[in-house]
Amino acid sequence: MSEPIVKYNNVTKYFDDLMVLDGIDFEIQPGEKVALVGPSGSGKTTFARLLMTLEEITDGTIEVEGDYLWHEEDSNGELKPASTEHLRKVRSNIGMVFQHFHLFPHMTVLENIIEAPVTVKGIDKKEAIKDGKEMLEKVGLSDKADTYPAQLSGGQKQRVAIARALVMKPKVLIFDEPTSALDPELVGEVLDVIKDIANQGETSMLLITHEMDFAREVADRIAFFDAGKIVEDGPPSEILYNPQAPRLKEFLERFMSTQASPE
Amino acid sequence: MWDWNYAFEVLPEIASALGVTISATVVGFILALVLGLIWTLLIRSSNKIITTVADSIVKFIRNTPLLVQLYFIFYVFPQFGLSLDPFTAGVIGLGLHYSTYLSEVFRSGIESVGPGQWEVATALNFTTKKTWTRIILPQAIPPVLPVIGNYFITMFKETPLLSAITLVEILQTAQNIGAGTFRYTEPLTIVGVLFLLLSYPASIALRQLENRVTARYS
Repeated sequence: MSEPIVKYNNVTKYFDDLMVLDGIDFEIQPGEKVALVGPSGSGKTTFARLLMTLEEITDGTIEVEGDYLWHEEDSNGELKPASTEHLRKVRSNIGMVFQHFHLFPHMTVLENIIEAPVTVKGIDKKEAIKDGKEMLEKVGLSDKADTYPAQLSGGQKQRVAIARALVMKPKVLIFDEPTSALDPELVGEVLDVIKDIANQGETSMLLITHEMDFAREVADRIAFFDAGKIVEDGPPSEILYNPQAPRLKEFLERFMSTQASPE
Repeated sequence: MWDWNYAFEVLPEIASALGVTISATVVGFILALVLGLIWTLLIRSSNKIITTVADSIVKFIRNTPLLVQLYFIFYVFPQFGLSLDPFTAGVIGLGLHYSTYLSEVFRSGIESVGPGQWEVATALNFTTKKTWTRIILPQAIPPVLPVIGNYFITMFKETPLLSAITLVEILQTAQNIGAGTFRYTEPLTIVGVLFLLLSYPASIALRQLENRVTARYS
């Protein structure tokens, strides 16, 4: 296998005295789509938020393309906490789509999408608009360019949020329960967009999801979290149809019983 | 009792001092806005010492009377080698005092912006500065504009306090006229009417702004 794009080395996270992640080692390969599943409170969201630098790491290291995310090496080769510049440089490889979209309410859809390319990357505005419109077409919202977020449905909002994250061309894109806040009839349109992106390839994805069918379809690998550890990790066929860990079996049984799949 | 001839005679002189009142209000309020935002940002600093010092200064200024502060700036500062003319001293006093109220207004505006906006700014790799100028403040300020406008009108009506530090604004002008003629009724009434004529339309305009803001942000 090639060099992993993301590498967690013995990552531990505490919230005060509460241990949320317990010494996790994990690798994501370039282009790989990994679904993170598990009961709530199992640490999967914190695991992803550490990579987006939304939570601070307690112990261990995370590497992105061989660079430390939370640390940098001083002249003696010893690790010290990363400077803001270093953090921003490494973080530019990562993008995230949030459960509650978090669109900028004071900007139109197109402005939402071109804001970061122009302000953060310094891309020429004309070019950013061209890219932004292309991206909007990709998520099927070309006609909404001049609309404000308040006028969109939840599904449309999430598709804009996806376009906004994608236009920054992250190498790893995190989806944090992207459909959990949506009305059931709007889930499909968002999942379709995510599948499209997944099929186009090179972006690695971390998908935190409760949609098992979706995980099976999109993910190359599923990692099952429980009590701050990755208990089982493998291709969907193994995880879903031949689970080994008792906690995973339990989780899946409960899941299947509450969600009789129509497919 | 009321002498119209006398009233019209003194009106131009009083009205001419309106310029001083208005410019003291405008300059003082701009100072209050800038300082207010600076207080807010300092209080939100991650450095505990900065937060505590800024917070203490703001509490101190907010909880002592404006008049005392004006006296202090005008009469005490010169003893430390800082002599200010009445206008400058007055504008600094007003600006400083009102900055502590506006700081509270900015704080509430900023806190009304959800944590998700900060997180998405991080996720899109915004610098701290751009997060403030492009994401947070454009959402924090419009909802509190009516409150800010209210303070503007209140401050306008407090400018006669500056007569206490010898600034010849409209109240002081009226008093000077009264002192010369021993007739106070007309000049003081004119002062009241002039304030009314300016602040009442301003408060109506403000109400309209408030309606527009409510329509947009709720």
